[in-house]
Amino acid sequence: MAERSFAKEVLKLRSGDGEVFQGEGILAITKALLQSGVSYVGGYQGSPISHLMDVLNDAQEILGELGVHFEASGSEATAAAMLSASVNYPLRGAVTWKSTVGTNVASDALSNLASSGVTGGAMVIVGEDYGEGSSIMQERTYAFAMKAQMWLLDPRPNLTSIVDNVEKGFQLSEASNTPIFYMMRIRGCHVTGEFIARDNKAPEFSNRNPVSPNREAEKIILPPNVYAQEQEKIAQRLPAAIDFIKKEKLNEFFPGKHEQLGIIVQGGVYNTVIRALQRQGLCDVFGNSDIPIYVMNVAYPLIPDELVEFCVGKQQVLVLEEGQPEYVEQGIHTVLRRADVQTRVYGKDIMPMAGEYTGQVTLLGLTRFVTSAGLPGISLRLSEEEVRALQSTLADDDHNTLLENVPPRPSGLCTGCPERPLFSALKQVQTELGPFHISSDIGCHSFATLAPFNLGNTIMGYGLSLASSSSIRHALPHKSISIMGDGGFWHNGLTSGVTSAVFNKHDGLLIIVDNGYSAATGGQDIPSLVEPNQIIATTIDTDGPVRDDEQPIDEACRGAGVKWIRTVSTYSIESMKETLRDALTTQEPGLKVIIAEGECMLNRQRRVKPLLNKSIKDGKRTRRARFMVDSETCTGDHACIRISGCPSLTIKPNPDPLRQDPVSYVDNSCVGCGVCGSNAHAAILCPSFSRVDLVYNPNGWDRFIGGIRQSVIGWLQERDERKRVARAL
Amino acid sequence: MTDRTINMVAAALGGEGGGVFTNWVIGVAEREDWLCQTTSLAGVAQRTGATIYYLEFFPRSAVKEQAPVMSLFPAQGDIDIAIASEVAEAARMVQRGFVTAERTTLIASDHRVYSIAEKAELGDGTIDPLVLQEIAGRYAQQYIHYDMLALANEHNAVISSVLLGALAGSGVLPFPRESFEAEIREAGKAVDVNLAAFSASFQRALSGGVEQFEPSVAAEPVFVVPQATSAAGAELLRRLEAFPESCREILYHGLDKCVDYQDYAYAHQFLDEVRDVLALDDGRQDYRLTRETGRYLALWMCFEDIPRVAQFKTRAARMDKVRDEVMAEPDQFFDVTEFFRPRVEEMCSLLPPRLGNYVLQSSSWRKFLNLFTGGKQLRTNTIGVFFSLRFLAGLRRFRRGMLGYQHEHAMIGRWLTVLRDAAGNNPELALELAESGRLVKGYGDTRARTTAQMLAILQRVEEGEGVSADQLKAWRSEALADDTGEAFGEALAA
Repeated sequence: MAERSFAKEVLKLRSGDGEVFQGEGILAITKALLQSGVSYVGGYQGSPISHLMDVLNDAQEILGELGVHFEASGSEATAAAMLSASVNYPLRGAVTWKSTVGTNVASDALSNLASSGVTGGAMVIVGEDYGEGSSIMQERTYAFAMKAQMWLLDPRPNLTSIVDNVEKGFQLSEASNTPIFYMMRIRGCHVTGEFIARDNKAPEFSNRNPVSPNREAEKIILPPNVYAQEQEKIAQRLPAAIDFIKKEKLNEFFPGKHEQLGIIVQGGVYNTVIRALQRQGLCDVFGNSDIPIYVMNVAYPLIPDELVEFCVGKQQVLVLEEGQPEYVEQGIHTVLRRADVQTRVYGKDIMPMAGEYTGQVTLLGLTRFVTSAGLPGISLRLSEEEVRALQSTLADDDHNTLLENVPPRPSGLCTGCPERPLFSALKQVQTELGPFHISSDIGCHSFATLAPFNLGNTIMGYGLSLASSSSIRHALPHKSISIMGDGGFWHNGLTSGVTSAVFNKHDGLLIIVDNGYSAATGGQDIPSLVEPNQIIATTIDTDGPVRDDEQPIDEACRGAGVKWIRTVSTYSIESMKETLRDALTTQEPGLKVIIAEGECMLNRQRRVKPLLNKSIKDGKRTRRARFMVDSETCTGDHACIRISGCPSLTIKPNPDPLRQDPVSYVDNSCVGCGVCGSNAHAAILCPSFSRVDLVYNPNGWDRFIGGIRQSVIGWLQERDERKRVARAL
Repeated sequence: MTDRTINMVAAALGGEGGGVFTNWVIGVAEREDWLCQTTSLAGVAQRTGATIYYLEFFPRSAVKEQAPVMSLFPAQGDIDIAIASEVAEAARMVQRGFVTAERTTLIASDHRVYSIAEKAELGDGTIDPLVLQEIAGRYAQQYIHYDMLALANEHNAVISSVLLGALAGSGVLPFPRESFEAEIREAGKAVDVNLAAFSASFQRALSGGVEQFEPSVAAEPVFVVPQATSAAGAELLRRLEAFPESCREILYHGLDKCVDYQDYAYAHQFLDEVRDVLALDDGRQDYRLTRETGRYLALWMCFEDIPRVAQFKTRAARMDKVRDEVMAEPDQFFDVTEFFRPRVEEMCSLLPPRLGNYVLQSSSWRKFLNLFTGGKQLRTNTIGVFFSLRFLAGLRRFRRGMLGYQHEHAMIGRWLTVLRDAAGNNPELALELAESGRLVKGYGDTRARTTAQMLAILQRVEEGEGVSADQLKAWRSEALADDTGEAFGEALAA
């Protein structure tokens, strides 16, 4: 069960012909898949398409009604391999992942799929995680599309266009026997809007109507087939694709009165270009531009005839291609040279080579382009200097003041996160045995590489920390340390990491952070999801679902040959420290695995809060814990904050008129995880931390003992208070 | 205005209800028959950073055949409304260029949500919000700002309802108040409180929104020494009259602390020491030397030993404070568990000096006492624990004979001696020495580190190598640079 529920939204997926469908880009894509009659869908979560997986997951009932098969794939490679169903049969299918990381993981299957070719439409919906808001290294999917000969759709980011292109994309895939990348940018995934729905289509083949097994030997990727397949890509599939794209007008020509000029743009950045034109007074609000625009909703392959048609007779065109290298621009140059069209092509010479084409970047580039044309009939609202000035309207003094005073807000672990005490423990052990070189991994635990923990040296990929430690372990002064999440473990870590490590007699330490979910991507379920009661750090009873086909991490490790395995609750910092020390100093050979268990607090709160509220409402005796800091005893050193970084642990002005440093303060978002208290003990901090257990619906004993305590303690306190007042200033 | 869209960018920190807020706004636009396109950027920020929402509005009535083409990027110079939930985020809006003087209404709360960098400082790392507000006021067309969190808390509502009220009240979106209220009603969650908060915020935005920001220059309230409650107290307060007026507030608090910590004699002792410093003070900066010496001397003299902590934890007012802080109902039962970890050092500090030092140096005694150290969780609201703590608090009457007291007062004496020596010939240095009292704080290892740094500074000054005030100031800031003492060590060695 994921962080965000789409249970309500997915009902819209039942909309039929003519109904107005309103919602997010992600939801529109799901609807488009159903309208296209897909037979199977799958994928692996990750921003910005995590929600697509969540929507599919929440839409299982509707998928079931249509006979659409859904799998939450184990990795992107798993998902890519699913597309093999479309090789031999006219089955439409779609899978999704975060790109380029997911595409890299999936590349083996994708290349083979692209070589075999497909019969049914096969589509990979990639969330292009590029630009502001991205969480990965900056690359683009385009290169993969080119080298494997897969077509790449990059539609205009409005819901109608998004939906139409999904349906056209399947047709294109079938017409050219080629799998398709369907690219969604971050903002496009989350954009809201509306489109006119069509009826959903049940797939032709499904569990209701099975295919009859059909072998096409020439599609298997063995020599000599592969040579033939490569020829076929060029001789048949590419021309077929170009024909289809032209015939179906997947790319769009928008006319404009300044015919000497032209803009060539990928669909995904169309809206940004239009805004820039609008701001320069060259376009109305509805997108009627004075400068002709050629929109490539199909970013790969290029369509030479269309490019020539657009460019012929023009003095100059501007190619707006986000990211590097400038593949599209190079391709356009080739096309125009071959056709001997002399139109001047502007592109990365006046646009930034790397980085996102934001509103500002696009406005500046467009301004330079139009200015360079020097056409008498065009006047711009903003000169190049004025556009540049918009970028920094601040006076130098103010700029510097803001630079000094606006604090950065780096990502960090959530309030009550079970990983916080793990890293507190590791940091404390580091002061004894360190300094450490740590191979880190992808997941929430990546944040340990940031302040206040500053633990971790490299991140090589999802589930690859142990693998990346294998080359440094012989050269380290301590046993190598790798940290991996449970998500990464199942994605890749078990095979690439653990199995290989045991085989190579790796004697380092692997810490597997087991929080019960694929937490960083939005709390999706993973194979080792267990009944919450079984997670030892969970303290509140619940009627969680029980899986009869459990896949515990420790058994998987044992099965792979690991002998030394310890499971420790992250919240018990002392025993975690001891186990870490033990693992790092033991003489026992072989890989040491510590499974650091503690349920993801975000998910746990989501699960537990309603139960807690219900329990209180039902009149049941309920206790709720939270922490506080005594501002009288706090001296304002903030060591507690430096060791934990919990968002709920903050500061407030010192109530003591003599003291000037703010005191630590636990705000009301505290979930009572207990790490503050454990740290106060483990790191010998101060006596200021207290846990307060609030009792709701007290029973008779609570009242009885509480009453006695209050009267005895109250009586003494009153006496002491009288004495104090008598001897006060 | 139908030749362009109305553009709005909003930044919300995690848990502030940015999503709820955005959905309300979308709903209002829908009610008014306006197209509203939104997009958001969470990125990794879904955990603790800010989520940026971007919205564009266009009236359906102006749409003929083609739908308007709206942008997915907020762009500099193209924003009508910028919303931030707290001061630094408002300044970030300005920093990013999303606030334009000719066009942008900036709506932001005046409260602060501290960043980790501000919180983790060893001293006070918080930024001055007034500086940022002043800049924001100059760059925005209108700057609508007040403490929206306080307003939300006043109504027991969420801050997003206050932000919505401010947005409605700003009048930038051509939507009537009723539509906003209808949307809150339809959402169906905590309708009454959210409506009340919305309405209060709406009024404030209406009345206070159009003026440029002017930092409020609140006059410092003049401190009046309170009446004494006892004859001995009155005698102490009479002595205060001998001190310059600018010192009395701090010295009064110092006296109050000393009386509470020990007794009247201790307070006299405090005043005696300050008097000696006053005699050497040339009066610059309104007797700052006397004032700051008084401040840090009082704090140091009232060092937090076991009896002091026990005194705080058993005090009548404490339970009320706890109840207040955890927002418990007036008659709700709760348990309070303290997390103590006394070390042998703290235990020995309670013993007479000779015995204490002997135990500290004896490994077998240490081993024995170590049996009683370790982490303790004590429930203060149980009678047994309360009695024990009360007993420990009562030990303060023997404090003058304890090792800890002697140890601290030896250091205090050394500090004051160096300070007084400097006061005669280098008043700037004396002032820096007084301010260095700020370093001394914390418990356990922290206390050991901070006092050691203080002593190291004193030693350098005692050695008479012509330490300058600037040098000392630099050392002090290095001492607060990290908690390993590395920067300080390097600075001192340089």
